[in-house]
Amino acid sequence: MLFRVPGAPEAAWRWLMAILLLGVGLPAWAQPSCTLTISGRVADHESQAALPGATIVVLETQQATQSDVDGHYHLQLCAGTYHLQVRFVGYAPETADLRLTSSAERDFRLHPDAVMLRGAVVRGERMAAPTTQTTATITGQELQQTRGQALGEALQRVSGVAAIQTGPGIFKPMIHGLHSNRVTILNNGVRQEGQQWGVEHGPEIDPFIASRLTVVKGAASVRYGSDAIGGVVLVEPKPLRDSAGIGGELNLVGMSNNGLGAVSGTLDGNLRKLPALSWRAQGTFRKAGTMRAPGYYLKNSGFEEHNMAGAVGWRKDTYGVEVFYSQFNTRIGILPAAHAGNQSDLLLAVGRDRPLETTGFSYVIDRAYQQVRHDIGKLTGFVRTGNAGRLQLTLSQQLDFRDEYDKSRPRNDSRAAAGKPELSYTNRTTTGELLWEHKPWHQFTGSIGLAGTYQANRYADGSRQFIPFYTNQIAGAFVVEKWQQGRWLLEGGLRLDYRDLAVRRGDRDSTGVFFVERSRFRYATPAASLGATFDPSTHLTLSLTTGLTRRAPAANERFSDGVHNGMYELGNDLVPGNAPLTPETALNVGITATWHNNPRFNGELTLYQNRIAGFIYQVPLLPLVQTIRGAHISWQYLQTDATFRGLDLSSSYQLAPQWLLGLKGSVVRTRDTRADEWQILMPADRAEATVRYDWPNANATSRFQNRYAQLGGVAVARQTRVPNNYEARDLLLPPPGYGLLNMELGGTLRWGGQPLEISVAGANLLNQRYRDYLNRYRYFTDEMGRNVTLRLRVSF
Amino acid sequence: MKNLLLTKSMLALLVAAPLFSACKDDSEDPKPDADNEQITTVTYTLTPQGGGTPVSIQYRDPDGDGSTPATITPATLTLAPNTTYTGTLTLLDETKTPAENITAEIQEEGDEHLFVFAPAGVNLTITATDKDKNNLPIGLATQAVTGTANATSTTGSLKIMLRHQPGTKNGTATPGDTDVEVTFPTAVR
Repeated sequence: MLFRVPGAPEAAWRWLMAILLLGVGLPAWAQPSCTLTISGRVADHESQAALPGATIVVLETQQATQSDVDGHYHLQLCAGTYHLQVRFVGYAPETADLRLTSSAERDFRLHPDAVMLRGAVVRGERMAAPTTQTTATITGQELQQTRGQALGEALQRVSGVAAIQTGPGIFKPMIHGLHSNRVTILNNGVRQEGQQWGVEHGPEIDPFIASRLTVVKGAASVRYGSDAIGGVVLVEPKPLRDSAGIGGELNLVGMSNNGLGAVSGTLDGNLRKLPALSWRAQGTFRKAGTMRAPGYYLKNSGFEEHNMAGAVGWRKDTYGVEVFYSQFNTRIGILPAAHAGNQSDLLLAVGRDRPLETTGFSYVIDRAYQQVRHDIGKLTGFVRTGNAGRLQLTLSQQLDFRDEYDKSRPRNDSRAAAGKPELSYTNRTTTGELLWEHKPWHQFTGSIGLAGTYQANRYADGSRQFIPFYTNQIAGAFVVEKWQQGRWLLEGGLRLDYRDLAVRRGDRDSTGVFFVERSRFRYATPAASLGATFDPSTHLTLSLTTGLTRRAPAANERFSDGVHNGMYELGNDLVPGNAPLTPETALNVGITATWHNNPRFNGELTLYQNRIAGFIYQVPLLPLVQTIRGAHISWQYLQTDATFRGLDLSSSYQLAPQWLLGLKGSVVRTRDTRADEWQILMPADRAEATVRYDWPNANATSRFQNRYAQLGGVAVARQTRVPNNYEARDLLLPPPGYGLLNMELGGTLRWGGQPLEISVAGANLLNQRYRDYLNRYRYFTDEMGRNVTLRLRVSF
Repeated sequence: MKNLLLTKSMLALLVAAPLFSACKDDSEDPKPDADNEQITTVTYTLTPQGGGTPVSIQYRDPDGDGSTPATITPATLTLAPNTTYTGTLTLLDETKTPAENITAEIQEEGDEHLFVFAPAGVNLTITATDKDKNNLPIGLATQAVTGTANATSTTGSLKIMLRHQPGTKNGTATPGDTDVEVTFPTAVR
């Protein structure tokens, strides 16, 4: 059996399985008369001419079809009430209510849309998601429901994705139990490179830029680089506008708990006289004050963020160029409790009911804080090389500035007046990728690519050393081929990266004499993947993926050394008696079954196993490291062999035409096979259920449309699968499990001709006190209490 | 043909891309952290007021945080029973060349600093004898009075804390941050 883990019987897993089987079983007996047909003709309202190729979508079931050359269409449905939407380029879309008791005919006469007719050219834009790989996307209304949240927080909607948290402002995505160096984030096609190694460094990305978030679960190293063994997050903005005119959207978010306010606006345009030229400008401001846990305010937990981005593109049928620039700025307060001055104070602060120091509400961000700026410049271009295919080049330059200020200001007055950060890092990364997508040949499609990275990481003179100087150079080549025939799709890929990491580390010998230690690590890291997708029916897709990857250890895993954000961290190579790190080798297998386009039950189940030989991980270092300032919570990197096995479930069931039931869950079991015990700091079992009611849109003239109400619950178990003798290996046992109640109401208001999307969401409605095992503040404080979020969105 | 040209120039760009970024200063070495203050050495010297040989104890971590742990020499501060000592503290940053004298700095900014002495398990009372401009104690100069000897084979401790209290100093330990916290094994024999 693929999914067998040594240990106690797993109640949660069985429970999920039972629900799943129930879910799968349901459509079998809940299929009364789904053979009713709805058919008709789509034509121009004035000329009555047929409109071939119009799209007809049943909004409830997402069944879709296209009209034929005579404008005729045909769909099969169960008895019930539906909304049928018809779209055709250059025409205003039309929606019709349909009450189906027997087979029926319905014709559509579409009105030409004056605005859209202006030289609209439809260009297919392919999204480069690997097809056999398990992916999940957050887009549309679901994305709207995350507005105002940090990227890592929003991604928790995807089953199998957790977040390592450091207070209310920092969320680090964790896919199938893997994070940081092992999760690659592509920000608008550019590999995000900064100080991403730190568990308490959130991705420097403004999620408002995205119109779509995609998570590739499991290794995607062949396409995205050999370290993507946990998965990939794609942050994709809307493609540049391709029809003449100017449009835009404005988002406003307000939160009750921490007084968060967010404003984000986008403007995009396309010139009528120069249809090839398009542009987009975007800006976001986000500010939050002190977070409130049930019963108290969390000192210095505010944050502030301001971001901007712009893009200009020139696009013709055979070639195109796009320039993109974005800047991200944030300042995040760090909890003072994490900065306890000495061992006794620290031990007093750990595991308390509430922190010793609490505060009132304030927007002021005091010391200790992080100040981060991230710039990306990107140049991308493509040419369609006639018969040969398509050639694409992407060049990018990233600059990441990270300044961290300790809680205590410098003792010396003149140094304090200089106001320099205690840690000041600069990371400069240049990446280039050349991709050639060849013309389909027989049943084959595919691409060949070359990729290169040059990265330099430095700290400012006078900054404390934490991560040494390093220069990382990577050159890689890859090939991905797909073969498609009938119900089968096979995909295979190979990649080879050559990595050269040169490190210069300043150190002092035992007498205090400064010296520079140089080391260099060169590895060839191959990656291979093989996957297959099979569609046994139009409603079921099965896929299998396998991958083999090698990941070279990063500089921080070897050489981090010092105090940072109040915590002491030590790299593996500096731990006395440890052998230097060797590359990780990951072998992973995953199978996914997807039920789709069904009238009632739709869902996806993924089972996976990932074996990582030489798994590099962080553990609390006990006894605590003492410096002259006292004791610090301490961490060190170690290496072992680990096996991850898990299951993700995401499903929905249409209870009745207006009622939708949703269920998500994820389970991961990780064994340290070298020590034969559970692996530390893995996400606990998690399940989420929602029930949603969508009001029928009674008449098209109503001012308040698309109304919905959603009630949801999240349950997270206590992590009981922890290493043996845990009391002696961490300062605190994993916290108990928790359940949260959430609710959301929303709809679209017609407001002076513009649609205004409005929603009110309440999270942790019962003001539950809880702590999460993956939050680094769990030693000191509870999580956020009740929070009500108001979201508004206008697009024009 | 235009396409071919484009392709070639693209390839050239790709190859050249890393060069744009490889600045000259990438080959620089890290420098000693001159601006980052550290305190590496704390010495407490006690001179018997009636005359006699001074005793002292030192905490020393010349390589700064991490790496080689700090050492305390001698292992225990041993004081004579029922004796009054004059105590002086010296603090150094030995990561700088020459070593930076932190004592003088603290003296100068005496109105922002307070040393707190916390003996435990030993009959010892320490009082600051120096004052800042606001007539509040600093603690660089002290008087230490010992009582009866420790029970045989027991050793107590003396915790010395430096609190940095810019603008908030009121004579108590509570305000501000901890700049130094060292604990010396101490016994009266």
